[in-house]
Amino acid sequence: MDSDLSLNRRKPTRPLISLVPMIDVMLILLVFFMVTSTYLNLDMIPALAQRDSPAQGTTGEGTAETLLIRIGTDGAPFHQGQAVSHDDLSDLLTRRLSRDPGLQVIVLPTGGVRLQSLVSVMDTVTQAGTVNMRVVRLEASP
Amino acid sequence: MKITRPAPRHHPETIIALIDVVFFLLVFFMLIGRMDATAPFDVAPPVAVTGADMPAGGITISVAADGIIALDGETVAPEDIERRVQSLLVAQPDILIRINAHREATLRSILPRIAQFEAMGARDVVLVVTPPGSPQ
Repeated sequence: MDSDLSLNRRKPTRPLISLVPMIDVMLILLVFFMVTSTYLNLDMIPALAQRDSPAQGTTGEGTAETLLIRIGTDGAPFHQGQAVSHDDLSDLLTRRLSRDPGLQVIVLPTGGVRLQSLVSVMDTVTQAGTVNMRVVRLEASP
Repeated sequence: MKITRPAPRHHPETIIALIDVVFFLLVFFMLIGRMDATAPFDVAPPVAVTGADMPAGGITISVAADGIIALDGETVAPEDIERRVQSLLVAQPDILIRINAHREATLRSILPRIAQFEAMGARDVVLVVTPPGSPQ
């Protein structure tokens, strides 16, 4: 009696790599970055003159004129002892710069001035087209 | 005659699309974010129109409105800040120093420090500002 016996090996099942733990980890990382991040729009103003730039106060054509702006304790800019508005300061600088593009602007703030006042004056000076600006401070002599 | 509606086949939700979206979001937040130590006090930088892009790297010195100083997120006594910055400048002479001062801070708590850093040999000191209209 013939018997047809065939043994079929069971197909090996493919190991299933579960994606769920990976998604969990990625989601946790995503939530971490979203929650812990604070997004600030920050810029910068150089506080020191670049040493590789040409020396300030001089132009190729000779000695530049100098314009002194004081900043009072209330934050208002002063020129030649007179309080000037930012618009007037801008006009004054534009006029002077048209005569002398290498005009050096010296800003002398009082120690009690708020930083915002100094930055606003620097903004006005820079927007007028000044390339030579220097902030100086008075230091008490011993 | 009986017409039987075929049973709707169950389509497994494809999870690959979800993974793609989560992965892109993750990479997006990792790339655009810059890890930076935040000051242990409130600092609202001054508003400036003429600010330039902030370079990366370096150290951040935060100055609160009342003059408290922090170095890279850690409050430092005013007499210690020079020593700490000096040691950093010895290790890295070209290190960028960011002064992140509150807009209400007075200049007598900022300008002398910048002069000190310059005297120590610092070459790159910048003042952190924020453009108008940006969220505080």
